[in-house]
Order: sequence, then C-alpha cells, then structure tokens
Amino acid sequence: MEKKSFNAFEMAKKQFDSAAEMLELDEATRDLLRTPMKEFHFSIPITMDDGSKKVFRGFRCIHNDARGPAKGGIRFHPQETIDTVRALSMWMTWKTSVADIPLGGGKGGVICDPHNLTKREQEQICRGWVRQIYKNVGPFTDIPAPDVMTNPQHMLWMLDEYEIITGKKQPGFITGKPVGMGGSLGRTEATGYGVIITIREALKKLSLKAKDTTMSIQGFGNVSQYAIELYTQMGGKVICVSCWDQKDEKSFSFKKESGVNLTELKNITDQFGGIDKARAKELGYDILDGDQWLFQEVDILIPAAIENQITEENVENISSKVKIIAEGANGPTTPEADKIIESKDIFLIPDFLANAGGVICSYFEQVQCNMNYFWTKDEVLGKLDQKMTYAFNSVYQFSTKNSMTMRVSANIMAIEKVVDACKARGWV
Amino acid sequence: MKINEFNRIFFDDEQNISFIGEGEVGGKASSLIYFDNILKESDFSEFDEIMVNIPNFTVLRTGVFDDFMTQNDLYDIAYSDKSDDEIAIAFQNASLPFSVLGDLRELISKVNVPLAIRSSSMLEDAKYKPFAGIYGTKMIPNNQFDSDTRFTKMVEGIKYVYASTFFKDAKEYFTASGLEIRKEKMAVIIQEIIGNRYGDKFYPNLSGVGKSYNYYPINETLPEEGVVNLAFGLGKTIVDGGLSWIYCPKYPHKKPPFGSVNEMLKLTQTEFWSVNMGDPPAYDPINETEYMLIENIHSAEEDETLSNLVSTYDHTTDRLTIGSGRDGARVLNFAPILSLELIPINDLLIKLMKVCEEKMDSPVEIEFAMTFSKDSSSEKPYRFGLLQVRQMVVNDTDVRLERSELSSNDTIIASEHVLGNGISNNIKDIVFVKHETFDPAKTELIAKEIAEINSKLLSEKRPYLLIGYGRWGSSDHWLGIPVTWSQISGASIIVEASLENMNIEFSQGSHFFHNLTSFKIQYFYLPLRNDFPTDWNWINSLDHVTDLEFVSHVRYDKALKTIVDGKSRSGVIKK
Repeated sequence: MEKKSFNAFEMAKKQFDSAAEMLELDEATRDLLRTPMKEFHFSIPITMDDGSKKVFRGFRCIHNDARGPAKGGIRFHPQETIDTVRALSMWMTWKTSVADIPLGGGKGGVICDPHNLTKREQEQICRGWVRQIYKNVGPFTDIPAPDVMTNPQHMLWMLDEYEIITGKKQPGFITGKPVGMGGSLGRTEATGYGVIITIREALKKLSLKAKDTTMSIQGFGNVSQYAIELYTQMGGKVICVSCWDQKDEKSFSFKKESGVNLTELKNITDQFGGIDKARAKELGYDILDGDQWLFQEVDILIPAAIENQITEENVENISSKVKIIAEGANGPTTPEADKIIESKDIFLIPDFLANAGGVICSYFEQVQCNMNYFWTKDEVLGKLDQKMTYAFNSVYQFSTKNSMTMRVSANIMAIEKVVDACKARGWV
Repeated sequence: MKINEFNRIFFDDEQNISFIGEGEVGGKASSLIYFDNILKESDFSEFDEIMVNIPNFTVLRTGVFDDFMTQNDLYDIAYSDKSDDEIAIAFQNASLPFSVLGDLRELISKVNVPLAIRSSSMLEDAKYKPFAGIYGTKMIPNNQFDSDTRFTKMVEGIKYVYASTFFKDAKEYFTASGLEIRKEKMAVIIQEIIGNRYGDKFYPNLSGVGKSYNYYPINETLPEEGVVNLAFGLGKTIVDGGLSWIYCPKYPHKKPPFGSVNEMLKLTQTEFWSVNMGDPPAYDPINETEYMLIENIHSAEEDETLSNLVSTYDHTTDRLTIGSGRDGARVLNFAPILSLELIPINDLLIKLMKVCEEKMDSPVEIEFAMTFSKDSSSEKPYRFGLLQVRQMVVNDTDVRLERSELSSNDTIIASEHVLGNGISNNIKDIVFVKHETFDPAKTELIAKEIAEINSKLLSEKRPYLLIGYGRWGSSDHWLGIPVTWSQISGASIIVEASLENMNIEFSQGSHFFHNLTSFKIQYFYLPLRNDFPTDWNWINSLDHVTDLEFVSHVRYDKALKTIVDGKSRSGVIKK
C-alpha cells in the first residue's frame, strides 16, 4: 500500500501548520517548530563478514528539546529517508508533550536491512552509529531507543560503545535495553498495552464493553502482539491480523472469524513478526491480501505497522461497523483520509496519543537508570496505565470542550505546551 | 444489589463501595454490600450523635485472582505442600494483572488513610462452612509521602492475601470441611480502617464482636440474649481470642464473674493492637502483622483515649472508680459507656443485631469498630463502622438430659457448661494434654504436638475427643493452648479443662469459635471445681497409640457416646 510519493515530513508539517493556524502562532515560532533544531547525517563504514567494506548512511534529528532531553528511536530500514526521520522526530516532540513527560523529540535511523545482515555486521553498524554521534547524544541530551527493526540487543551494543568512549557507566544513555542490563520491566508490553488503554477509555466514552467488540490489526510485531494479549484479556475478539512476508516481499492478512489465537500465531512467527502462511492455513486461518485487515467488519481497527497505510484511496472501504481506529503506528493515516474518517463518525485515537506507552515506559527506564534503582513490573505498568489514562482523558476533555477531533485536540495541546516551553526559555 | 465499577474516585459521598475487575465479590464483600444498603435504609435517628455506616471499600473481584494465578503460573506451587513462607514469597515475586494496575495506582494516589486488605473468598462466610479467620488480612499505614511506596505496600498486601488462600491452615480447613480447594477463588477488599491517629499509632477507640445468639451464656442469661465482646484498639484482640470484655447486651451493667478486683485487673485487657504509623518496620511482606503494634494500654494514656472506657483502681480502698480522673491502674471494663451510658453503644448494638437478624433470618455475628471524635464540636462525634455480618448456626435438635445422667457410673466427662446440641456416638480416639507435664510456659510446644496427632487422625479420617487446659485457640499462650483452627481441625469434641495454674474464665476467640460451632463441634468447659469429676483413670487405662512429651493419644475399642442438651447447656461423654 505504500506510495512512493508519500512524504511523511510533508504530512507532519501540514498537520503542524493547521494547528499553528488555530493557535495563531507567530512566524518565528512556526519557523522553529516546522523543522528539526538539529540534524546529523553521517556515514558508517564497516567490514562485512566476507571481508568487503561497506558504508551505511545514518541520521539523527533533534526536533525540539525545550521540554527536556530529546527522546526517540533508531530505525534500521532499507527505505529510510531523512524526511521520514524528520517527521518522526517532530511527532516525538508532540508525543512526549501530550504524554506530559519532561522530554523533547528526536529520531534516528540507518539505511540498512537487518534481514540481510549478520549479527556481527549489525553490531558493527550499532557501534559505528554511536562513534559518529556520541558527542551529541547522552542521558541528559538525547536518548535513543529501539524502533523499526532494532531491538534490545542493538541498544546494548550501542550503550557498550558509548560507555567505552566516554569511560563512564551511563545506562540512562539509551532505553529499551534488556531487563537485567539496565532495561525496565514492562518495557516490551508498554506500547501495545498503551494502545489498548486508550481503546479501553474510548470504549467507556462510547458506552461499549470490550467483550462485545471485535478487532482487526495491522502488523504482528511487538506492539500488535501485546495489544492483542491485553485486548483478549479484556474479553475482546481479534479476528484478523496482517504482517509483512519477507520472502514474498509483500504483506498478507490472516483471518479467523472465531478469533485469532495469539499463542498459536506466535509459535509460527519469525523474529520480525512474519507469520508462516502454510502453517497458518493448517491452523484454519484464511490467508488474504495484505490490505484486507482494513476492510474487515469489526468494531476496532489498529494500524500498527508503518506510516501511510490509511489513505484517500482505501479509506472509503472501511466497514461502517468500525467505531474506533487507534493508531498503533506513527503516521498511518494521511490528512485526506483523516477527514473522511471524521465524516464517517469513527472515533480516531491519534498516533502520538495511542502509541505513547512506549515512550512513557522509556522515560521510566531512563529515570530508573539514572537512579540505578529499578522498579517492580507492577509499579512500572501501574504508572503506565495512570499516565496513559490521564493523557487520553485530557485530550478527550479538550476535544469535547472545543468540539474538535482527538487528533486536532492532541496536536494543539501538545504544540501549545512546547510553544510555552520555547517562549519561557526565550527562544522565540 | 447495585455496586459501582471503580471509577478512580474512592472517597466519594455517592460511592462508598466499588469494584475493580471481573468476577465475583466473595462472601464477605457480598454481605457488606447487602448491609450497606440495609444501613442506608434503616432509621438510626435516635442515635443522633453516632454516624453508622460501612467503611469505604473497593473490591478486587475474583477474576483478578484468576488472572493473577494463571498469568504467573502459580497453581502448581499453590497446591503443593510447600511451606507458607515459600508460597508467600512466590506470590510476592509474581505480578498483578496489568488490567488492574492503573486503577490501583489511582486509588492509592488519592487515598492516604490506613487500609485493611481483607480476604473475601467465594466460600468465605458460607453459613455452614465458614472460613472466618482462615485467610490473611494485611493492615497497612498507607501514610508514606511517596505514592509509589504506598502502591507497593498495597500490592504486597494483596499478594499476601492471595497467598493465604493456599497456606497450610486453609488447606487443612478445606480437608476438614470436605470442600475442594481447587474451587476456591479469592476476592480482596481494600477498606479504610476505622480509627484515629495518635502519635505513631492508629486505632479505633473501640472494637467489638456481637453475637445475637450466645453459645456460652453465664449466670441467668439466655442464649437468645446474645453476647458482646468489647476491646480497646483494633479488633484483632477479640478475633485472636485475647482478653476482652464480655457482656450480655440485655444486662450491660453486669460484669463477668470475677472473684475479686485483683482478678479483674489480671483478666481484663491489658494490651491493644494498633497500626504502626511511625518509622517503617523491618521489611517483611509475608508477615501479616508487619505494620501492626501491640502495646500495653498504659501507652494510650497520653492519647487520652481511655477515659470513656476504663475504671481506675484505688489500691488504698481496693475499689474501682469509673473513669480515668484519678491516678491508678486502669481496668478496661468499659464502665463509662456500659454503666454510665455516656455513649449509647449498647442500645445501638441491640438494634443493629436485631435488624441484621431479621434480614438474615437467623442469628448473626457482627464485627464493628468505633471512633470517638477528637473534635468535641463535631455534629456526629462518634462513628460506628460495621465491618462484617455473618450468619450463625444454631442447632435445634431436641435433646433432654437429666442432671442425674451427668454423674452415672459410665460417665467419663460431664459439665453444665457445654456448647452445642445433639447426640453422637462415632468417636473412639481421645487426644489429651497430660496433666503431669503440662506447663503454661510450654503451650506453644503442646500445640505443635497436638497438630502432629491431628494431621495423622485427619488423614485416617478418625474424628477424636480433644482434652486440654485453658482457653483453646488463644493468641496469648499463657491463657491456653494457642492452636490454630487447622491444628485441631479433626476434633469432633473439644474439652476445655481448668487447672489451678490455668483457671481462665471461658471466652471465645471470635473466628475460632464461630468456626467451631459452625462445624457442629461439641465443646465442654470444665470449671476448676466441676461437680462432675473426669474419669482420668479410665482414660489413662486405654491403649496408648501415641505418647509424646505433653500429649497422649489413646484409643477405645468401642465408640464413646456424647449427649449435649443445648437448652440446659449440659453434656456428658459416656463409655
């Protein structure tokens, strides 16, 4: 479904401009917030396992750090572009702001495909990335985290390189580390659970009970799996999931009307979230085209894969039964599709609110690392629920009070807080 | 019966009860919810200075327990024969289901009064199989500045109560009652504790247990006239069978039959329980009394909480003066409220028990706590919190026993202070505490020996007659043998005998006796000067199956015959 012409940064700017108009921001403030404050582009030369040399391109953007150190993931993706990283860093600024955690927004990436790299080669890229940027990142400057196709092992290699270079133990430099190595309990569950917390609150507002609803979800990675786990525990039924098939280089949807079984699907899934089609068929799943997850007759849709998935072209095919869309991924809905969703009276929970669980828990991890005192899982997840619920209800109250959509409300609330911080510092 | 889903508002005038999670609320919570409505509908206007209600609480329903057990794979260790501590530690290391954490955090961030974390199991408080006192209750001060710490302590308390579902006492109780532990589910009540803070202590001015039917009527009182136990401080004193003030609500002025003022000084409450609001104690989440203090009542002098409850001993005249106006030893006889009727507590109890009896259509046992406001200008200076209501079992089989039958040739044991009613002839085993080695300082060791024999007889399914000295089930090992219910759960008849050095007026640990009577166990109290001597020679002549240092187990080749006349409260055990 991805369109080559799609530019995430253009979309992010469009969203910002619209909010800036409503907030009547002055030109300097708009200028400051429309683009990242800092951008780093660098090369990472490594020796491949066959002895050849290869150079990978890396990025890091700090969109804004007026509210605190920048925070954002590092993506390993073959189609990575600086514009995507810019857009995602901007969304991180809004996300940390709407979640009300004292951090700014950043994002990084490397143009590479980990599927085609050995572990040692991946380690070299991680260490090379840190060597290029270590002067500009750190526990009180800019704190990276895992993102698309990066994992706790990658974070640990990066931390190790950073600590070797700086000569200090600084586990707060990076989050998403393995538990026991500076990682926080509850981190793996956080984003998926967070999405479901916002859905739980939305269901309350719509006077619905989870056990009376069904769901279809795009993606079968970490976010989707934990979202399915919690939603199922609440009594809901997931009937369709989709995932990317590395071999066929396209996505497929897996449907089971009686409800997907998370455990059985996990048993036939590779480390990148790809489900084995043949075995899924044996287990009674219908294998459909990749975009079919979106057109199911369900109450709730969760796009939890990549950006630009619900577009002007496909939005009309969304079932009239759908009542809630919760954006588990960043930027999955285009502004054009957004308007149509609004007209269909679907309750949309915007990305930087719905998937804020990850960054909230990253923040908890950083706090724990800086204190070198680690909390119980009960404590981490209890705080996560509290923060997510508070964030959702703040945005909801704002939206009902001002008759605005959740996305516009979240945007305005988030941007306003960042603007206030910038003004308080005398930047604009 | 309507209860509200927890909406992250705890102390709301409109919502004093709420629930979290799915499933059932359990027996205890169910009765509290029922009586919350009854209290709201009832007219207590004649007690215009007393606020009568059920303290605010939230119930974590049984679905949360189910999720906790399955998500943490705890059933294997729960059903194993591992020690209580091992089970408790495994439960502490597990995580609560995510779905309730946000609500619990929100609750604790808004509440900073001391909390009681109480069990409310599916089978608890069932009329004929009462699990009263079998499961744990954790009291927490909840006064830490940091809500993270308060949250952690509350979660530890919840896990402790969950773990107590599978402690040895509970398992043996299940075995004795013929119930299947695998069918048990636990809800948890998180409830504000009724009390006031005095320095580093938090406690109610008064706590008590009222029963509308008295299995131990003394003097001229009748079983139907009921009985009330009052204690200063937390109700744990009564529940554990410690010294408390016992009286019949129809005769509140009459004191228990103490031989002298000196005896009254010794046999009235001298220690009281409170919640520790001071420096944190040693970390011990698997200890039920981690945050509880027991102190001498003199330590409450400076709190000025004794004046409505005590009389003062004047050694120059060897007399008691009501109140605490003079210096001297305090006697917790509750005379200011019972004799001078400064606060109409007794009238309130009579009315409340009547209301509860009518609604339950059976005799009832209630637990309550009261505070007397420190603010004299308050419109309702007294608060009465109803903590529990449960039905009592009263056996009404018609048995008539003539006095002459108590002293016939084949009598082994007879008494005119017997609890229970009915005839039985299925016991061949007698377990008794040996007179010659009995030592009040060693009652804890005696309890262990009894437990050992009890386990064996229980596994062989042989009910037995148990004979010992002092108050069974007392938490104070100087007053009797401090057995838990599970340690004597196989006994069908229990005898409480007196010795010169163990001559305690009979009393009852609330939960202990409630369970005892609900299981229809016959209970014989033998006063020091019993008119009917026990035939020790015959008992000692029987075959000794087990002979330990303090306890013996003998067996008769025929069944003993037991006749108990509930109306005359007399009973006899015959060869």
